[in-house]
Amino acid sequence: MGKDNLGEFEELVLLMIALLKEDAYGLGICDEIKKQTERTAAIGAVHATLSRLETKGFVESSLGDPTKERGGRRKRLFTLTAFGKKALVQSRDTKVNIWTQIPELSVNRS
Amino acid sequence: MSQRKPPVLADKFLLWFCKPELLEEVQGDLYANFERTYEQDGRRKSQWKYWIQVFQFIRPFAVKRSKNLNQIDMYKNYLKVVWRNMFKHKVFSVINISSLSVGIAACLIIFLFIKDELSFDSFHTKKDNVYRLCELQTWDGTIPQKVPITWPKMGFQLPDYFPEVKTYARYHSWGELLWQVGDTKLLVKNSAAVDSTFLDVFDFELVAGTKEEALTEPYSVLITEQVAINFFGSKDVIGKTLERDGHTYDIKGILKDIPENSHLQFDILISLSTVRADQPNFNERTGSNYMNTYILMHDNVDIPAMEEKFPAYLSSLVDDEDINDNYQLFLQRLDEVHLASVDIQHDYQNHRKFNGTYIDVFVLTGIFILIIACVNFMNLTAARANTRSKEVGVRKAIGAKRRQLVYQFILESILMSVIALMFALVVDFVLLTYLNDLISRELTMLTIFTDNRLVLVIAAATVLLGLITGLYPSLYLSSFKVVKVLKGVDTGGKKSFFRSSLVVTQFSLALAMIVCTFVVVQQLFFIQDKDIGFDKAHILLVKLNGKTNKSYRVMKEKLGGKSSILGVTASGQRLGNNLHQWGIKIKKDTAMVHIAPSNVLVDYNYLDVYDIKLKSGRTFSEKYAKDDGLAFVINESFVEEFGLGEDAVGQQMGHNWYPNDSLGTIIGVAENFNFNSLHHKVNTLSMVIHSKWNFSEMSIKLDADNIQAGINEVEAVWNEHVIDYPFEYEFLDDHFNEVYKSDQQMGYVITIMAVLSILIGCMGLFGLAAISIERRIKEIGIRKVLGASTFEILVLLSKNFAFLIAISFLIASPLTYLYLDSWLDNFAFRIDINPLIFLLGGATAFVIAMMTISFHTIRASNANPVSSLRYE
Repeated sequence: MGKDNLGEFEELVLLMIALLKEDAYGLGICDEIKKQTERTAAIGAVHATLSRLETKGFVESSLGDPTKERGGRRKRLFTLTAFGKKALVQSRDTKVNIWTQIPELSVNRS
Repeated sequence: MSQRKPPVLADKFLLWFCKPELLEEVQGDLYANFERTYEQDGRRKSQWKYWIQVFQFIRPFAVKRSKNLNQIDMYKNYLKVVWRNMFKHKVFSVINISSLSVGIAACLIIFLFIKDELSFDSFHTKKDNVYRLCELQTWDGTIPQKVPITWPKMGFQLPDYFPEVKTYARYHSWGELLWQVGDTKLLVKNSAAVDSTFLDVFDFELVAGTKEEALTEPYSVLITEQVAINFFGSKDVIGKTLERDGHTYDIKGILKDIPENSHLQFDILISLSTVRADQPNFNERTGSNYMNTYILMHDNVDIPAMEEKFPAYLSSLVDDEDINDNYQLFLQRLDEVHLASVDIQHDYQNHRKFNGTYIDVFVLTGIFILIIACVNFMNLTAARANTRSKEVGVRKAIGAKRRQLVYQFILESILMSVIALMFALVVDFVLLTYLNDLISRELTMLTIFTDNRLVLVIAAATVLLGLITGLYPSLYLSSFKVVKVLKGVDTGGKKSFFRSSLVVTQFSLALAMIVCTFVVVQQLFFIQDKDIGFDKAHILLVKLNGKTNKSYRVMKEKLGGKSSILGVTASGQRLGNNLHQWGIKIKKDTAMVHIAPSNVLVDYNYLDVYDIKLKSGRTFSEKYAKDDGLAFVINESFVEEFGLGEDAVGQQMGHNWYPNDSLGTIIGVAENFNFNSLHHKVNTLSMVIHSKWNFSEMSIKLDADNIQAGINEVEAVWNEHVIDYPFEYEFLDDHFNEVYKSDQQMGYVITIMAVLSILIGCMGLFGLAAISIERRIKEIGIRKVLGASTFEILVLLSKNFAFLIAISFLIASPLTYLYLDSWLDNFAFRIDINPLIFLLGGATAFVIAMMTISFHTIRASNANPVSSLRYE
């Protein structure tokens, strides 16, 4: 993937982060992906993607409060940056643009 | 809920590989998941899942960067710095690297040379047990001499007498022979008759045929591949035949061409049993020695003990009570034949024999040069400390330990060392072909590259070199005090005693080599120009054999008339060795004295053609019938040795087989001439004519202005009268030069080494001068302002170096003198070492050194003081 382009999984994770608003952290995102897409994402893969997204500047993170379920460990919460938002919008717009140019595909709605 | 713990081992594993900063969130997620799964699916499942998920975290983003990564980064920095430094101070880098390169290149070549010489005869698997039987001959009237030639019987009886002997093989070279296949007649350079056991003792490779059958039958031969190709055009010639002299020989095997590093060189081997077919009692022959005998011993034989039995052995062979006064047998190891036979005479079957002591000299010079190069490096790097001092200061300030700095600088010098090695290899590749021509060798770099172990050794040695050379500068550089350095105080100002002594070492070695070169070259010229008592210039030598001898008289007459031919004569042996010793008896008062001087068969005009001067009496003349066999011309040594006094002419002497009442007379006494190389004193000599005997070669004196015409004339006459044998010739002075070959080569090598060592020394001096003068720029500026002249400044700057050179001179001279004196003792005729030579050497070194630093000194003394004092 290029510097500013989003991979498929990256885009998914970003969407989850936007969806989950205040509660976007590793395990939570993983659960949400399962809920939304029926895909079982590996927890390691999610964390790796999150790390990558942060490096690229699409998300920011901060440490939250410790909880009992986590054995007293804090969780890292992620939020979308403006840059990340822009990347998401751009991605959708590009796809929609192409979709509208293919009338056959638009017709077959199932 | 808190009793449920995820698998401990999995956690430990996670702790081990996961980055600490990620650990908390990762473990948190894992833990939460664990709890959840536990609730839903039970303990088993949750533990299993935990393990899986831990493994899922083995990804690059989560895994700890290795601790050593820090070190690797550090070394990357060092390399960067080294690279930058090299280019920042290009001049010094070039001097440093090139002087190391030269040193390494020289060492590599010396190594190749020595390896080549030491490799002689090393391919014989049984070499540790192979010995050559030699004799020390002592006869009245002749200088004792060591020879490797023996009687046939000496070898033949060995196994019967000595249980130590496993087997033996005799070798008799028949020299150049004409062989024939059908109509093809070729002159083969080297044919030898050998015992059937020859291939049991030596490992010459048989490409076809078996060892057992090769040389047992009479009239069997083994030929080399090259001979096979020359005669038959292919190597598949077993079973074919060669003819010679009316006999047919069966080819029983094909030998691989004899390698260059074998002291025995031959093209055809003939079975010795062939000789016995004609002479049945060949093996009982004594009296005349001409065979080489090689012995293969059993393992672990006590050689000295065996040598003690030799006198008894000799007595058992012949019925001569004086035999042990004249002959003393001794054994020479195979691995010494090539290198330790310098004092062995009549050693004709020893290809390219070399003086082993010279090898030690070469090793020494190689080490010297390397030392000089290393010293250069050490000195230059240390002297440049100034330029690196800030760097050292900063590094120390931010926390570098002394050890790390040492590592850094050692790495730098190892790197330079490796680069120098690369250059050295390239230089050697290029120069080797020229060098080979100079010293007539076939050295090749492949020797190094084909031996893996050697490549490794050389690489390791280079690294070690870098290490050692870098030790001193790095210790010096890393010792800078941080505060002093960063403040800008001048650190490199002190005159290190160590560094000065390094310079002294360099120049002592260089000086020693210069003087050695002068003396060696002087001695070599002396040998070449010395009046050897006869005229060896422009003398053409043409070999004669049994057949061609018949045409000699005719050819002599025909050539006599030509203008380009100044004289034609013949002899039984060629000058340039000790000549053979024959038994002579001479009548002294009333008794017969038996002696054995050197003897040579000559033609009537021999002394005239060779311009040998007579002291008294007359030379041979055809006018006197008695001159054929009953007249002897002897030399001064002969007269002295036997105390014949002033009236030698007229005294009676004759060959041992002459009856006592009909001896010949001495008709003339010739002035001593050096028929042997100048390594030896002039032996006693007698010359005689036997017109019925065969000469072994013609000597034709050519007119110096018409050499080529002369050769053509001789060739024409030869071809007219000789059918079977092609015209081949050699010049006598070339032949004599061969004798001094290894001395000459030593001369070349020493000269080259001396030049190299001065070169390297000067490079170092150049660098040092640059540094020290640069440091004194301000001082020079001030002096100029105060009125010093350019010359005074020149003197000032050069003083220090001149002093060091003077000390080198004092140290080097006595040691060099001692060494050269002992080398010159090698020669019976030698120059005296003139003390002026030392002064000349010292002066040369001095002048060269001054010229080297003059570049800097002149520039400095001409510099405008304004520009050097401007900045403060």
